[in-house]
Amino acid sequence: MLPFEEQVVADLLEDPNGGLVVLSSGLPLASIASALLLQLHHHHQSPGGCFLILSAPDPLKAQIRRLLLQPNSQPLLQLHDVAPDLPAHHRAALYSSRAALFLSPRALTADLLTSRLLPSRVHALLLMSAHRSSDTSSDAFVARLLRQHHLLPVYAFSDRPHAMVSGFAKAERAMKSLYIRRLHLWPRFHVLTASDLERAPPEVVDVRVPMTQPMRGIQVAVLDAMDACLKELRRTNKVDVEDLTVDKGIFKSFDEIVRRQLDPIWHTLGKKTKQLVADLRTLRKLLDYLVRYDAVTYLKFLDTLRVSEGVRSVWIFADSSHKIFHLAKRRVYQVVRADGTNLLADNKGTPTKKRKVTQKGKETENEDLSAIKGNAQKINAEMGILLEEILEEAPKWKVLRELLQEIAEEQIKRDGENVQPLNEDGFKKSGIVLVACKDESSCLQLQECITKGPHQVMRAEWEKYLLGKAELHGLHRKNKKTSQQPKGFGVLDGEVPMGSGESVGPSSISNLETNALLVAASEISIVTKEVNAKDDSNVSGRKRGLVKGKGKFKKAITNRETSNRINKSTTDRSDLEVEGQSGKTDGCAEIDASKFSTEEDSASAPAVDKAANYFSAFGDLVDAKLLPPVEFYAIDSDQHVLDVWKPSVIIVYHPDITFVREVEVYKAENPSMKLKVYFLFYEDSAEVKKFESSIRRENEAFESLIRQKSLMMIPVDQNVRCIGPALANEPEARSSQNSITRKAGGRKPSEKEMQVIVDMREFMSSLPNVLHQKGIRIIPITLEVGDYVLSPLICVERKSIVDLFQSFASGRLYNQIETMVRYYKIPVLLIEFSQDKSFSFQSASEIGDDVSPTNIISKLSLLVLHFPRLRIVWSRSLHATVDIFLSLKTNQDEPDENKAMRVGVPSEDGVVENDVRAENYNTSAIEFLRRLPGVTDSNYRSIMDGCNSLAELALLPVQRLAQLVGSQKGARTLKEFLDAKCPTML
Amino acid sequence: AGSSAPAPKNSILVSHRQKGNPLLKHIRNARWTFADIVPDYVLGQSSCALYISLRYHLLHPDYLYYRIRELQKNFKLRVILCHIDVEDVVKPLHEITRTSLLHDCTLLCGWSLEECGRYLETIKVYENKPADSIREHMDNDYLSRLTHALTSIRHVNKTDVITLGSSFGSLSQTMNASMEELARCPGIGERKVKRLHDTFHEPFKRVS
Repeated sequence: MLPFEEQVVADLLEDPNGGLVVLSSGLPLASIASALLLQLHHHHQSPGGCFLILSAPDPLKAQIRRLLLQPNSQPLLQLHDVAPDLPAHHRAALYSSRAALFLSPRALTADLLTSRLLPSRVHALLLMSAHRSSDTSSDAFVARLLRQHHLLPVYAFSDRPHAMVSGFAKAERAMKSLYIRRLHLWPRFHVLTASDLERAPPEVVDVRVPMTQPMRGIQVAVLDAMDACLKELRRTNKVDVEDLTVDKGIFKSFDEIVRRQLDPIWHTLGKKTKQLVADLRTLRKLLDYLVRYDAVTYLKFLDTLRVSEGVRSVWIFADSSHKIFHLAKRRVYQVVRADGTNLLADNKGTPTKKRKVTQKGKETENEDLSAIKGNAQKINAEMGILLEEILEEAPKWKVLRELLQEIAEEQIKRDGENVQPLNEDGFKKSGIVLVACKDESSCLQLQECITKGPHQVMRAEWEKYLLGKAELHGLHRKNKKTSQQPKGFGVLDGEVPMGSGESVGPSSISNLETNALLVAASEISIVTKEVNAKDDSNVSGRKRGLVKGKGKFKKAITNRETSNRINKSTTDRSDLEVEGQSGKTDGCAEIDASKFSTEEDSASAPAVDKAANYFSAFGDLVDAKLLPPVEFYAIDSDQHVLDVWKPSVIIVYHPDITFVREVEVYKAENPSMKLKVYFLFYEDSAEVKKFESSIRRENEAFESLIRQKSLMMIPVDQNVRCIGPALANEPEARSSQNSITRKAGGRKPSEKEMQVIVDMREFMSSLPNVLHQKGIRIIPITLEVGDYVLSPLICVERKSIVDLFQSFASGRLYNQIETMVRYYKIPVLLIEFSQDKSFSFQSASEIGDDVSPTNIISKLSLLVLHFPRLRIVWSRSLHATVDIFLSLKTNQDEPDENKAMRVGVPSEDGVVENDVRAENYNTSAIEFLRRLPGVTDSNYRSIMDGCNSLAELALLPVQRLAQLVGSQKGARTLKEFLDAKCPTML
Repeated sequence: AGSSAPAPKNSILVSHRQKGNPLLKHIRNARWTFADIVPDYVLGQSSCALYISLRYHLLHPDYLYYRIRELQKNFKLRVILCHIDVEDVVKPLHEITRTSLLHDCTLLCGWSLEECGRYLETIKVYENKPADSIREHMDNDYLSRLTHALTSIRHVNKTDVITLGSSFGSLSQTMNASMEELARCPGIGERKVKRLHDTFHEPFKRVS
């Protein structure tokens, strides 16, 4: 543990109320928390009781566990992760075990409300995600339930300083709601932190990798498109212009900025503005993936985007997005005429495009040895069209390999100097190289790059891409042909059926392009087949395609090409069309196995040799085994591996500020170790910008927190105890209030406490919390019908606006209201608006001229017509809801908990469900199940009884399904849906 | 618009009290005519509506109560159509909510006269319409069904549905995909991978 960490713990323990700690991200939160726990444990020697740890994310839990449970020593402190589905009596046992418990606020709230856990049994409360606390949050609810009866320290932590400054005086309000007086700020630039971390800093090498020309082009184009979207957004005059810069646009938090400004008026915004906000999100992804994905995967992602976003998006039609699609394709392949001219450029004839071509040429020259050599040109001779594979490799790949070579050499040299034989063991201990990238899939890919060579990786991706294309195409024709072979030899259409053919010329070209792609794909599939069954020379499957699909020519125009290209003359087009057709036939007739296998040989077969060649180009290492031991680490996975693997060299492949801090701490904890860190940045890329501004942003957040801290006002009582939010249910306060209003009656206020039965699932929302603040007793139960039971007659189904639209769309609302109307005399639909959003459904423009069945007005009217007994409550905010509840409860009896619990529960076997029911189910899977065709309200339970999980369900034979679903027809529907081929790209 | 001819069966009956209400201008999708009726609007055999604006309620807080008291019991659906035309809605809306709830009325709110008018039109036009469009319905188009199912998993969007579909070929194969296979799909991050995998592989019932 570093000295500054000890200081953090010591500071925290000074105040009996506890405190709030805000750290720079990446600083060792887990080690501070576990040190604190040990100290607390030491202080509380009395038996029984427990320490509660709330809202700790899983990786943090794992870290704390590792720190507290040292492998070969007696555990210092019992630590349990209390799963929400743990039976109640087990939970009760744990509460009195003097252990530290990880809990979800939901289960804990219920236990506190039902007195299963007495506040006096809790020694301390630790909140690990303080940035999510507010006076209506669930952890604040827990803090209040505890502090109300028992003074105990609350320690709150956050390692997201920027989240602590979003919104007005957020830190102060969070502290008040958690009964905390002291704020401790520990930025990276804190004197103690800085001196600890900089005492023996690691050796840092900053490697700037230039991006390829097309990558740079795409980046510029994406930024342009973002800029255009922002300009458009600014034109709406609805947002503060100052915050809308491309600079901020590359951050996730940008959405938050925009949404915070737009939310209050969200429902009054037009479709276009909403789409702009969504587009910005998509564009940011494109920017991010550009440096993370290989060229083929990137293209695949773009293809998917084009299908899914389709006509909705604004940006997809902008000029710059054509460039994105065009360049992304250029990184993978291009279509050229047999005489070598570029087909596309030929047609366009614009100077810009010409330049692109020359650039491309240069790029190709830059691509060295292996890349070019492997580029087989698929020639469809008579057609006169070539598909030239480019398969651009990510520049970082090469650099990474070079780095690894260099490191290996150094290690060998060092080992040589030390006159130590190269022994496996020693090598591993000192020489592990850790490569940190963003996600698991990049890890896998990089690993393959190292072992198989980058070209092989690109080929594999490319083949997958082509096969995917061909398969989709094959599917398209599957209806008539029984052949499942995914071969594309017919008349081929473009990837997306966009609109009708305004210009036919381009369509044939895009056809040719797709043709070429599919021919290439079929070659691959033939080769694969060759390998599998050598004598398979059956071409009948391929011939079939010829007959069909001609009519589709006109439809098949990819959007990009339509608007980019000059119309060709009709004659020209038909020529090409015919050419294309005949070319295909002949082409496929000519294909013979040997030709392909040789071609494939040159392209990819002896991968090992190739990789070896590649190696020899850099170092004198011919054997790949001489690479240093490499481990890959996905930053997103949040596992803390540094202490486990103890690397001596770290290559930060995708720079990330949190990880950098972790490396710093790791080095500081191991001062004697030699550590070298390489940063791989793409030069002048959004990656660099993002990294740099994330540091700047964090510093700004801390500066703002420091200012806030100096102005903070936290109320305390005489004993310097923190008071926290005012409570209506303090007995004194309440009776004095009542005495004023009821003086005239001269009667004592009724002793009885108001109570409301609340569905367990509702504890995700803040309403139970606020109801409790108002002094209402909350009885948590799993309700089958409704969300709140206010009296034996009144039952409420609460819907936020988003829920309302969703559950109307899914039909759930109808069912919910139907059952509620069946069981309660006064069924209430509560439509709850959010305080900080607009109080209205839609803008005037959305109302339209006609009665449209999709409009919310129509849906509500229909609901009201079918359930005339349904009462609707429109609530402006959470607090307004509470007032309405209180007023509805006057003159009503208190609800009966046992009765409410039984309402609507199917009593086939007479078993009354116990109260943790909701937590015992995989709700996400059930929701999914209920949305499958053939599954209905009446049979989903028996399906769940009959099979364990969705994965299992997917594999059940149709006969078994029929038993579960209850009908042959339903089972068939379900089975067909599950096994249907996805026709997604068509 | 309003004619003085004998009331046809399929038009909204409007009380003479409502004469001059600018709301009437916005009833365009249904015919309407003035008639001697107790409620402000008669929207069908058994449904009627009273109109009130928040501003009016603030001036005459008892008005609504007296109007409701006059209504006969022979209307099954009694709508209070409330025009939200003030900024500070909480208190007046609370009162109106309470009154309509205690006196068996259904409250509907409109933020503009168009919206209020549209409610009246719609209730009239939909008088005999079945509830199909708000009940759970099966969309027969494969992709929208697939999207419907997969997007029930939090944070899975339309693009992801297509990615998953084209990567695995069918839903059953998607449901049996391993973490690693899921992670290889572009655009599916760690969290989505876990969520998808949990949904498919965790048992329906966590405790048996």
